Amino acid sequence: MGDIEQDNSERADGENNKADKLFTLKKWNAVAMWSWDVECDTCAICRVQVMDACLRCQAESKKDFYEKQDCVVVWGECNHSFHYCCMSLWVKQNNRCPLCQQEWSIQRMGK
Amino acid sequence: MSGYRSSQSSNQGPPGLKQIDLDQIWGDLREGIEQVYNRQGMSKPRYIELYTHVYNYCTSVHQQMNSRQSSKSKKGQITGGAQLVGLELYKRLRDFLRNYLITLLKQGIDLMDEDVLQFYTRQWEEYQFSSKVLNGVCAYLNRHWVRRECEEGRKGIYEIYQLALVTWRDNLFKHLNRQVTNAVLKLIERERNGETINTRLVSGVINCYVELGLNEEDPGAKGQTLTVYKESFENLFLEDTERFYTRESSEFLRHNPVTEYMKKVEQRLQEEQKRVQVYLHQTTHERLAKTCERVLIEKHLDIFHAEFQNLLDSDKNVDLGRMYQLVARITNGLGELRNLLEIHIANQGLAAIDKCGDSAANDPKIYVNTILEVHKKYNALVLIAFNNDSGFVAALDKACGRFINTNSVTKAANSSSKSPELLAKYCDVLLKKSSKNPEEAELEDTLNQVMVVFKYIEDKDVYQKFYSKMLAKRLVQHMSASDDAEASMISKLKQACGFEYTSKLQRMFQDIGVSKDLNEHFRRHLTNSAEPLDIDFSIQVLSSGSWPFQQSFTFSLPTELERSVHRFTTFYSSQHSGRKLNWLYNMSKGELHTNCFKNRYTLQASTYQMAVLLQYNTSTSWTIQQLHESTQIKMDFLLQVIQILLKAKLLITNDDESELGSSSTIELFTGYKNKKLRVNINIPMKTELKIEQETTHKHIEEDRKLLIQAAIVRIMKMRKVLKHQQLVAEVLNQLSSRFKPRVHVIKKCIDILIEKEYLERTEGQKDTYSYLA
Repeated sequence: MGDIEQDNSERADGENNKADKLFTLKKWNAVAMWSWDVECDTCAICRVQVMDACLRCQAESKKDFYEKQDCVVVWGECNHSFHYCCMSLWVKQNNRCPLCQQEWSIQRMGK
Repeated sequence: MSGYRSSQSSNQGPPGLKQIDLDQIWGDLREGIEQVYNRQGMSKPRYIELYTHVYNYCTSVHQQMNSRQSSKSKKGQITGGAQLVGLELYKRLRDFLRNYLITLLKQGIDLMDEDVLQFYTRQWEEYQFSSKVLNGVCAYLNRHWVRRECEEGRKGIYEIYQLALVTWRDNLFKHLNRQVTNAVLKLIERERNGETINTRLVSGVINCYVELGLNEEDPGAKGQTLTVYKESFENLFLEDTERFYTRESSEFLRHNPVTEYMKKVEQRLQEEQKRVQVYLHQTTHERLAKTCERVLIEKHLDIFHAEFQNLLDSDKNVDLGRMYQLVARITNGLGELRNLLEIHIANQGLAAIDKCGDSAANDPKIYVNTILEVHKKYNALVLIAFNNDSGFVAALDKACGRFINTNSVTKAANSSSKSPELLAKYCDVLLKKSSKNPEEAELEDTLNQVMVVFKYIEDKDVYQKFYSKMLAKRLVQHMSASDDAEASMISKLKQACGFEYTSKLQRMFQDIGVSKDLNEHFRRHLTNSAEPLDIDFSIQVLSSGSWPFQQSFTFSLPTELERSVHRFTTFYSSQHSGRKLNWLYNMSKGELHTNCFKNRYTLQASTYQMAVLLQYNTSTSWTIQQLHESTQIKMDFLLQVIQILLKAKLLITNDDESELGSSSTIELFTGYKNKKLRVNINIPMKTELKIEQETTHKHIEEDRKLLIQAAIVRIMKMRKVLKHQQLVAEVLNQLSSRFKPRVHVIKKCIDILIEKEYLERTEGQKDTYSYLA
């Protein structure tokens, strides 16, 4: 606390360097998290979070975990989203969205 | 058939077969036999001559023999076919041997002790040898007449050598064996008392006793029955041994410490073993060892147990090893030692941690090393002194598990999860970049040591939580000392706990690699584009779900940064589709150059600090309210940011620092000075740390509830209907590798599942649940 009082007395000479901005930004190391842009976090088919690999892929990668997990998300025209692996099995039986029963057609795939 | 033929031939008296009377040959044969038993040398022709006498006699045909045969047939006894001659000769040989031995006995009957042994062994050796010769002379008799008699089941007819043995047994041994055995036992006792004895005397007697153990039921069978040896020697010998050692052990213990006694016992056991090898029969080994063990060890087990504690207390590993070796000979003898060891190790562990006091709770290194020292010490003890006996290893493990999970440190923290937390922190100390990082090999070694402690941790899930938190920080802040060490540690954990335990750690590790590539792509993308960014920008993109980070709240990003965010977001969505980015400003940090102080400083600052400091580009004085409005940082949070900047003496205020309010004015302190030109002002905020700790613990509780529920559902799905007690037991069992669920939490989880209609209480049955599909 004593320091501050002492500092206060020196305060007057502070405002000389006004040529440049007082602070300039040089460097920024940002951190961000990505997630699938989905309305519902879990895949309605396998009940696993879409951020994680689907159950099948998890079971397989248990055998060989160095394989990169590559279990992406797929969006239908109805805007519902599932694991691509889960959905491709689903449509073999029933070509409708399991959530809204609309005809299934792929709007986009995650990458 | 053959019987008929031979009787015919004898009637006719066919030519070529002489009739030889026994008296014709006996005179000369007897002379020869006497020669043999007097141990006079014998030439080969003489030996052949004797053999021929026997041969001639056996092959001659007798009237007398014939009549005997027919008289027997009348009585209806089954007789063999061919007429073989020998009985008369056999009788005379038997009488000869009997007379010989009766005379011999007269010489020995009054002898005692060593004299009787001298006499007995010498006579036996000679007799045995002579009888073997005689046996050779009578080989033809053995082969034909004796064999036939035996085949017909007649008792009391032996091959000549065995006849000699039986005769010895009945005429000499029977009268002399008590003296002889007593003399042997006396001799052995003298040897036990340290005298040197003539062991040949003993072994001679033993050989004789063994040889005399004829199998009378089946004389043709190989090998001996040892009945004579066992009855006339071994049993007496063992009684004698027991008496001797009972007296000696109590006597010795009265005057000597147990450690000395153990040496004595060890030596005695070796001696007895050697005794069997040198001059007793090998079958005695086991019974003798058992007798000695019973008398020398088992009877004094109480004394051993009492001493075991003393030896542990004074770290006498050699004596402990000796005691183990001795007690291990007793069936079920080690149980008490194991219990004592377990209690001792646990107490040592507790005491060692107690001794560290507060430093153990605050310094993970001290804590873990204290544990390791105790473990190392007793692991070595178990390995060397206790021969790595599985029971003792289990005792070590139990004891370690006990003092590692419950000790003064965990009690002070009031949770058993303090241990895993400190262990994870120790890993962080090891793996974080610092001036004290050990060499690669040494680090690997230390990590292996960590795994030793990890094995004993009950709440492995807590360790996982803290470990992943700290790993995340190391990775994001580029603070890892070595990628190899990180990977090695993850694979160790995976080995210990399985894929699932480390899958998120693995994913985090991968994300960092992916981010490296991404940064390079982005940089190339920027150089190719017309407008490069005016700041040095880098980024790490992490997959959500794997990282233990909290979402940061939004605030008004400085325009300088907004451009970077915008450029990168565009770039990222060109690379990927269907993804959204969530910026973690609390994890991001950067560098500012200052132009307002005497020196040009480079400040390493958090994004929030940067946002606040950049406000001073437009004015050197702001109220907190103004700063809040322009940066949009939450007020309580902003206050902490400012407090840190005040502490760093970049800003100053006239108000009391601890009582800042929204109207306080904060000014830039232009007299800022620092010895270093690069200054790190990015120190973590108190509440941030505190919140982190709390959420970590809170998450653990919540995650556990989920794990318990999952386990219950798995079990019930399989069993359909289960009693409460069994369900709880199975849950405990399933989750034991991760943590020890508390029973009341399990109950709560069952209630939750009933509410969610996964389970129901079975009607009419108490404490029983059934699964609802």
